[in-house]
Amino acid sequence: MLNDIITPDLFASAIRMATPLALAAIGGTICERSGIVNIALEGMMLVGAFAGVVASMFFGNAWIGVLFAVLAGALMALIHAFASITLRADQVVSGTAINILALGLTGFLMEVIYGHPGTTDPVARLLPLFSASPSGDGFFGEIWRWVYSIFFSHTPIVYMAILIAIAGQWALYKTTWGLRLRALGEHPRAADTVGISVTRGRYSAVVISGALGGLAGANLSLEQVGSFTENMTNGRGFIALAANIFGRWTPGGSYGASLLFGFADALQIKLQLFRDVITIPSQFFLMLPYVLTVVVLAGVVGRAVAPAAVGKPYEKG
Amino acid sequence: MNTKFSKFLVLFLAFALIATLAVGCSSEDEPEDEVTDEATTEEVVDEPMSDIVAAMVTDTGGLGDKSFNDLSYAGLEMAEDELGVEIKALESNEIADYEPNIDQLANAGYDVIFTVGFLMTDTTDLKAPQYPEIVFGGIDQFSAEPASNQAGLLFREHEAAYLAGVVAGLATLDTDMDDRINEDNIIGFVGGMDIPPVEKFEVGFTLGAKSVNPDVQVISLYVGDFGDQAKAKELALSLIDQGADVIHAAAGLAGVGSITACQERGALFIGVDADQYLTVDGSGDVMLTSVVKRVDQAVFQTVKAVVEGTFVGGTNTEFGLAEDGVGLAPYHDFEDVVPAAITEAVDAARADILSGAITVGASRDAL
Repeated sequence: MLNDIITPDLFASAIRMATPLALAAIGGTICERSGIVNIALEGMMLVGAFAGVVASMFFGNAWIGVLFAVLAGALMALIHAFASITLRADQVVSGTAINILALGLTGFLMEVIYGHPGTTDPVARLLPLFSASPSGDGFFGEIWRWVYSIFFSHTPIVYMAILIAIAGQWALYKTTWGLRLRALGEHPRAADTVGISVTRGRYSAVVISGALGGLAGANLSLEQVGSFTENMTNGRGFIALAANIFGRWTPGGSYGASLLFGFADALQIKLQLFRDVITIPSQFFLMLPYVLTVVVLAGVVGRAVAPAAVGKPYEKG
Repeated sequence: MNTKFSKFLVLFLAFALIATLAVGCSSEDEPEDEVTDEATTEEVVDEPMSDIVAAMVTDTGGLGDKSFNDLSYAGLEMAEDELGVEIKALESNEIADYEPNIDQLANAGYDVIFTVGFLMTDTTDLKAPQYPEIVFGGIDQFSAEPASNQAGLLFREHEAAYLAGVVAGLATLDTDMDDRINEDNIIGFVGGMDIPPVEKFEVGFTLGAKSVNPDVQVISLYVGDFGDQAKAKELALSLIDQGADVIHAAAGLAGVGSITACQERGALFIGVDADQYLTVDGSGDVMLTSVVKRVDQAVFQTVKAVVEGTFVGGTNTEFGLAEDGVGLAPYHDFEDVVPAAITEAVDAARADILSGAITVGASRDAL
């Protein structure tokens, strides 16, 4: 039975399911590092997923879809930035409003563009980068099956997410931009006094997080499913927020935490396969990823310290 | 907070709310039609046959689920065409919307309200006695003590799923039938939520498969909701990975994700509720058949009974194979692929169910 649970596909599935979480979580990290809370990731993902499908339909090219998904996510983020930086609104309220707006807006536009609610027609999708099919017997065949499933069976955005995590980690700790970003979130006044524009820095961070949220949406709609469904993000934006915290506000950590959540989800699917052997109701398995989220956030992994100035509007004194 | 911001926020939230409501309140073909208009003016409709106004509250899957919400609406449309009834659909985005949606329709003067889905059972039981002058039809709802103005409309999905199980159970053995059929004697089931109406599909499908292929392994997985296509796709992928070559999904809109998985990895699919060959674009290459549930008929018959004054409340009515309330869709592109052995076995099983020689169990106790 263990042989059937621990398969190459378990890990491939974990990576697939981690990708939208990771992209959104890294977006959350960059946003919160600048001192702006972003609970609107869910909405930015949703709008990105929708814009991607619509653009892919109009242009017949999934990559143009991805571009529009990123732009749409960034645009939603701009609203959040305007409300929480320029107008100094409560960032949680603004984020909630954007989530509601995203749900309504995508549903409404779907009626306008497609003339019916629910789900859109299938569009051009992004396909796996390498299209080998693992074959071969014996030990090396087995190894090749594992290596192929885990490393080479994925769609482009899955690889992009890994690159973004690495680049983000490097940028946050090794570049001037990263240093300034962290300063904005820890002590904006200090940053201001040495001549860093708090407004500009925060704006760019929020917009980047929206772009990443949009990319996460594109992964869901243009890679995994190939169409858009109302509320297709299904709470992933909030899990991403938890992954960001679990990852201690670092891009690498966010990716790792997302991978753990993705793995929990992949594992619960595999465990469900053996419901007749392990006689536990299916609801128990479905609960696993969420229980993990709660346990993680309750502090099993140690205290996570948020950027000191996060959530506080900055007023130039 | 400064006033400039407060104004902005109010504007912003109002916009968000309007955008949400615009979706929530729109019916398929008459989006500008406001509930309140109909309530106050009681317009004369084109056909003078009836002044009944009928409405429905969707489950969280909403309209466009290509499944039972859409089918209920199709039943209303049928009533509109044939009986001249005015119709309306309100969508529920979450479970918390059930009550306010019913209240809204009740206060707007609707004569018949259909509440769609098992999950609305308690809400319907609560609301029916509050509005005794309105007829309530509960799709997929078994009410322990239905009020005199309430009718539970249930389906023996397990009977049709049994036939689908016969198809799948024989197909998975027949490697000559299609090159996507593998050597493993395994078939799969993807359910939305683990609730009685979905359980009926799982149980019927499993019993049917085992009746013709006792050694077959039927693996059943649950998504946890009816909307998450990406998750339903992952479930189907893991089933295919496990060796399943025929998959039946009863997961509403989420099930469309399972179709994608079958197309990607080469497996056959059995649809649910509607004939999904017709409702899901480009699914013909994997769509073996569908387990059809004639929700539209149940809705239409109920409205008709109300219009004709023959409606009897306080009942739970079951629609099965005998009543033509459930059935198996045509094989469409697989018409020439499915061997006579399968079609004959399906006909035999149908005859046995109709004659009472087989009674298909509806819960897991029957497995």
